[in-house]
Amino acid sequence: MNSGHENHELLDIRKLNEMREELEEGFATVIRHYQAGILHRPERIRQAIRERDAEQVALESHSLKSVCRQVGLVHMGEMSAQLEAMGGSNELDAAEALVEQLIASSIVANQELSRYCQGSEPPRPFFAKDET
Amino acid sequence: MAKILIIDDDEPFRVHLGTLLRNAGHVVLEVECALNALDKIALDPFDLLITDIFMPRMDGFELLSALLRHHPRIRVIAMSGGGMTMSPNLALSVAKKLGATDLISKPFQSGEVLQAVDRALASLA
Repeated sequence: MNSGHENHELLDIRKLNEMREELEEGFATVIRHYQAGILHRPERIRQAIRERDAEQVALESHSLKSVCRQVGLVHMGEMSAQLEAMGGSNELDAAEALVEQLIASSIVANQELSRYCQGSEPPRPFFAKDET
Repeated sequence: MAKILIIDDDEPFRVHLGTLLRNAGHVVLEVECALNALDKIALDPFDLLITDIFMPRMDGFELLSALLRHHPRIRVIAMSGGGMTMSPNLALSVAKKLGATDLISKPFQSGEVLQAVDRALASLA
């Protein structure tokens, strides 16, 4: 079955589970620092696009890519890599559309990471089409 | 237990590595740039540095070169996810030539970091 879950899953739960085991009680603090980066960097990318600063778009996207990959945000990492390439080749019109998707994803990612840390509900894929 | 200095311009990585290494029983200090790292090292000796490569103002390559000149006994683990114009493998290979004791790619695995730290500290003995 090729459901929306499989197409749109953004979070690598296995990665987070590993981190939680390795970091023990420090896990929540570490995740909060990653969450701050995940929320603020996309805004900085958008700002750099508005200022037509392609180099800054590439640099911010590069950092966000690393942060996302480290914490298991697979799809955000991919979008960041695309934005990095767009910054590198000065394709800022294309980047303008993509950064809006990135910002939307970062908000959902932040919520999901918070929920995972609280352990109030089992983590689930993002953007599941059939969730109620 | 060792005294370790972490250098990375991305705060989440610094906090992540710092937590991991403190949990392993080490004394850890974190700084956001290579220039600050050189200031810290001048004031206080460290057993081991873990440094990112691509950072603003002074990168990990320049830091390694400076360390080689002034602190040849210090052990350094270089970390990189690659730069704008350089792959992670190439960046780490250059770091090795500049004197890095060990190399770790980003995203990193905790076990890999702890093993590299153990190897670096064992080489001090």
